[in-house]
Amino acid sequence: MDGTLVAAATARTAPAIRKVGVVGAGVMGAGIAAQVANAGVPVVLLDIVPGGAAKAIERMLKTDPAPFMHRGAARLVTPGDVGTDLALLSDCDWICEAIIERPDAKRELYAKLEGVRQPGSIVSSNTSTIPLAALTEGLGDGFAADFLITHFFNPPRYMRLLEVVRGPQTRAEAVAAITAFGDRTLGKTVIPCKDRPGFIANRIGGLWMQSAINRAFDLKLTVEEADAVMSRPLGIPKTGVFGLLDLVGLDLMPHVAASMKATLPAEDAYVLGLREHDVILRMIAEGRTGRKGKGGFYTREKGPAGESLKRAIDLWTGEYRASEKAQLESLSLRDLRALAEHPDRGGRYARAVLLDLLGYAASLVPEIADSVADVDAAMRLGYNWKYGPFELIDRLGAAWLAKALAEDGRPVPPLLRQVGDGSFYRVQAGTLEYLGTDGGWQAVPRPEGVLLLADVKRRTTPLARNGSASLWDIGDGVACLEFHTKMNAIDPGTVELLGKAVALGKKGTIKALVIHNEGEQFSVGANIGLALFAANIAAWGEIEGLIEQGQKAMLALRNAPFPVVGAPSGMALGGGCEILLHCDAVQAHAESYIGLVEVGVGLIPGWGGCTAMLRRWAENPRAPKGPMPPVAKAFEMISTAQVAKSAFEAKDMLLLRQTDGITFNRDRLLADAKAKALSLVEGYAPPEPKPLRLPGETGRVALAMAVRQQQALGRVTPHDIVVCEHLAQTLTGGRKDHTEETTEAELHALERRSFMALLKTPATLARVEHMLETGRPPRN
Amino acid sequence: MTDVVIAAYRRSPFHLAQKGGLAKVRPDEMAAQVVRALVAETGIDPATIEDLVMGCAFPEGEQGLNLAKLVAFVAGLPESVAGATVNRFCGSSMQAVHQAAGAIRMGAGDAFLCCGVESMTRVPMMGFNPMPHPGLAQDYPQAYVSMGETAENVAKLHQVPRAEQEAFAVRSHQKAATAQREGRLEAEIVPIEAGGKRVAQDGCIRPDTTAETLAGLRPAFRAEGTVTAGTSSPLTDGAVALLVCSADYAKAHGLTPLARVKAVAVAGCGPEVMGMGPVGASAKALARAGITARDLDVVELNEAFASQALACMRELGLDEAKVNLDGGAIALGHPLGATGARITGKAAQILQRQGGRYALATQCIGGGQGIATVLEAV
Repeated sequence: MDGTLVAAATARTAPAIRKVGVVGAGVMGAGIAAQVANAGVPVVLLDIVPGGAAKAIERMLKTDPAPFMHRGAARLVTPGDVGTDLALLSDCDWICEAIIERPDAKRELYAKLEGVRQPGSIVSSNTSTIPLAALTEGLGDGFAADFLITHFFNPPRYMRLLEVVRGPQTRAEAVAAITAFGDRTLGKTVIPCKDRPGFIANRIGGLWMQSAINRAFDLKLTVEEADAVMSRPLGIPKTGVFGLLDLVGLDLMPHVAASMKATLPAEDAYVLGLREHDVILRMIAEGRTGRKGKGGFYTREKGPAGESLKRAIDLWTGEYRASEKAQLESLSLRDLRALAEHPDRGGRYARAVLLDLLGYAASLVPEIADSVADVDAAMRLGYNWKYGPFELIDRLGAAWLAKALAEDGRPVPPLLRQVGDGSFYRVQAGTLEYLGTDGGWQAVPRPEGVLLLADVKRRTTPLARNGSASLWDIGDGVACLEFHTKMNAIDPGTVELLGKAVALGKKGTIKALVIHNEGEQFSVGANIGLALFAANIAAWGEIEGLIEQGQKAMLALRNAPFPVVGAPSGMALGGGCEILLHCDAVQAHAESYIGLVEVGVGLIPGWGGCTAMLRRWAENPRAPKGPMPPVAKAFEMISTAQVAKSAFEAKDMLLLRQTDGITFNRDRLLADAKAKALSLVEGYAPPEPKPLRLPGETGRVALAMAVRQQQALGRVTPHDIVVCEHLAQTLTGGRKDHTEETTEAELHALERRSFMALLKTPATLARVEHMLETGRPPRN
Repeated sequence: MTDVVIAAYRRSPFHLAQKGGLAKVRPDEMAAQVVRALVAETGIDPATIEDLVMGCAFPEGEQGLNLAKLVAFVAGLPESVAGATVNRFCGSSMQAVHQAAGAIRMGAGDAFLCCGVESMTRVPMMGFNPMPHPGLAQDYPQAYVSMGETAENVAKLHQVPRAEQEAFAVRSHQKAATAQREGRLEAEIVPIEAGGKRVAQDGCIRPDTTAETLAGLRPAFRAEGTVTAGTSSPLTDGAVALLVCSADYAKAHGLTPLARVKAVAVAGCGPEVMGMGPVGASAKALARAGITARDLDVVELNEAFASQALACMRELGLDEAKVNLDGGAIALGHPLGATGARITGKAAQILQRQGGRYALATQCIGGGQGIATVLEAV
């Protein structure tokens, strides 16, 4: 674990949290404990059921997506039983309760905690439904001062929202400590919420789901149509609403409904909209509760030829039928208002749900949150929406929405009236501002130390720019190279701007470079569509030229007279990974998925990736000596297209160096990377790579033997063998002998030769084509 | 001419590589603990030992630098004791016995420590730097054939169906589990101190192995094959030591020999069916001893794979009731370089325990050969 980084992140906070206790080893409690352990902080996990906590750890080690970022993190979790091991909590600075949602059971536990916890420790509940006042009742002022609600989202490792609710008696330092720990150590965006049912995200998200279901029944949409409207057009994940229900479990809905009904006033729109649908009740009764049950709104069945067929439920009969792609004219519209005004049922559906959702959201500020910015942030992070409700209102037009609500005879919330024909957000002098409930404009707050590229972009113009990438001045002489192609694929434009950045550095215009972007993926690699196009017209010379230019750009990056720091988040694959391998240092978001995946499309890394990985393993002091270990390690990794599932795994695979940094909060990544770059400026000298000694032919034969064993097991396809043969030739240095040195230039030439040879095979072209069409490599 | 006898046999517990209790123990340290216990048990003056001969299949890394002499140092033997590491892959430590026997017979020493060790955790099979001869790999690829592949070849060629292999593996586990339960393994095991913990029991045996559990495993080496992890010996960490000496030496030092070494042999065979190596080697050794398979009372036949063990028994006409009475390598484990000494010591031990006249210890060896030792009751 990256202990130094974690220590640095927490050192800046007032009362440090050095040890954590979690009580309740269900999915949420165990997941929270895992994330604490991921951050390198020891955690005690207790469960009511004897042995339950140990079982939860076991289960999490097998769960995919993994709650742990690294197997070693599991060792930081100490399991125990509430009945016998409560004393393990005595030295915890924060105890997070995640047991059953019953106030009496929670209060009973808190009373026990009062007997063991240390003075000044903080207690929180992960409740999603119970008011704070009901939890502290009868426990005394001392407890109430140390108590608050910390509401994580499932799965706690991956969801970035942490809702924090303080009570009237909660100590300010307790809120500050949890906020700092949640933000810097656990990497969450902490949103303060009012003590209202469902807080922010589930209150609004729940209403949205309810509305999206009800309106689909009312307007007679198929589940595919409803999900097609309730996803991309609104900036909502592609699961839409029915797909999301399948994911979270249909049986959760009645519980949420009951709890909202019990805690919200009867005239609340949420309560008024509560409806039961016979089909859904029947599905729950039959155990068709979604992906965890026997199918849900969608299911997969085996076809006659053993193929997997997607099926969808008919909302009126409750029977499955073949799934059909939604065909609605309104879906072709890019403009949200145009969609909502379209007369087909998709348009009418969008309009109805948007009116429900946005009217409701506008009525809830300041009841549930202090600002519209907090509401939007909660919905973006808690539900993975691209836009929060108030951002959606700005896209539609606040006046349009108010008019539409009035037309339907529905109340227009005061906040919406207040905006008039204005908007909830504006950019003023390069600063993003939101409209406060007092009618005044406020800057959207950024926690101390956060540096967002989006903010930089609002206030400056780029130092250089083309269609693929931009270079931004992020202050103190540091520039940020931003990719902005689709999925941040690397194309000649990207390479051109890399060159420009280096040239600016050579002139002294910038003294350090950070490569970072705020896209979902850092980069999925080279644009293989371009390669396919060039191959189809047999422009081999041009392709080889591109490979060579890429190699030169990587070397220029590495050999530049100033430090270069890569700052990835999300996927950094293929060429994206090769860029990181040529940086002087990397500051990675903990959720970075790095790997050389070229073999998937029948190619090998051609921009110095093979060479760089060989060197990483050759220079690893823990690796066995001799010419084969670096070759075998690089071969194993590249030939199986291994991708690290976290920044920690990337360190194990040497895709990151031990000295590279890991940042948990994505919003802090750029600032951390910039600091890292600046720390390298003084006395900077480019690295001087040593030549390698590679085994040559004998190594190739040894690798071929290993591949043959996989072939006997039917684990590799005929073309895999061709690709492996080329990879082996490259990694072993071709015809070199291990008594000779192999230079970087020689290795780069081998990379190019293998890359070109493979690109000329029909099977590789078929893989590229298939990948472009389906997003998945074929097995050929 | 003096007789050669096996005077003492001790070994470490055998544990699964990587996940077992000995994964963190260096092989030289593990072997030294066994040697020290053997020397202490016999009460001999270590200065009378001519040589420490150490079998090891992959003598590199922590098993490199002439491991044998280093183990002598770690075990606290006097500087006068020499040390040689021998490599005949899986037959390495049986080869150590053969070398000692030959030396004793020609008067080149009276007492030898014949040992074997393999940490398959800490030095991988194939070693850290496998560098095959490209020309040989091209012209005669079976020279480098994988062991699993040979097991499949043998199963096919000698028609050993999967169910038969699995039934054999179940019996191996049952015999080993019974031996363990009845305390028949205790005397030979030297508990190993591993990072403050004491590892005193074998770790590979699975008493709950059934034909049903084995039937559910997927083929381990060939997609359509019959050999699984359950019918193969596991990757194992372990060390073994024997005291091999002249009958005169044993008598002079008040030692009770377990058995006399009657005859030895090695024989090559096709690498692609290396599992059949025991057939040629045993035939030669039996002939040299002037006996036939029917004369054998005890047999230790290494179970590299169930397929080759069954095929060899059939070819040699061995009665399974006499074979691997305390379980074989499928259950106990197969730390490559250590196995030869274990089955030689075990055959001698059982011969002494059960009575009878002749015992055979034999094993197959990767690359295409077999090795065999015929023992006679003293």
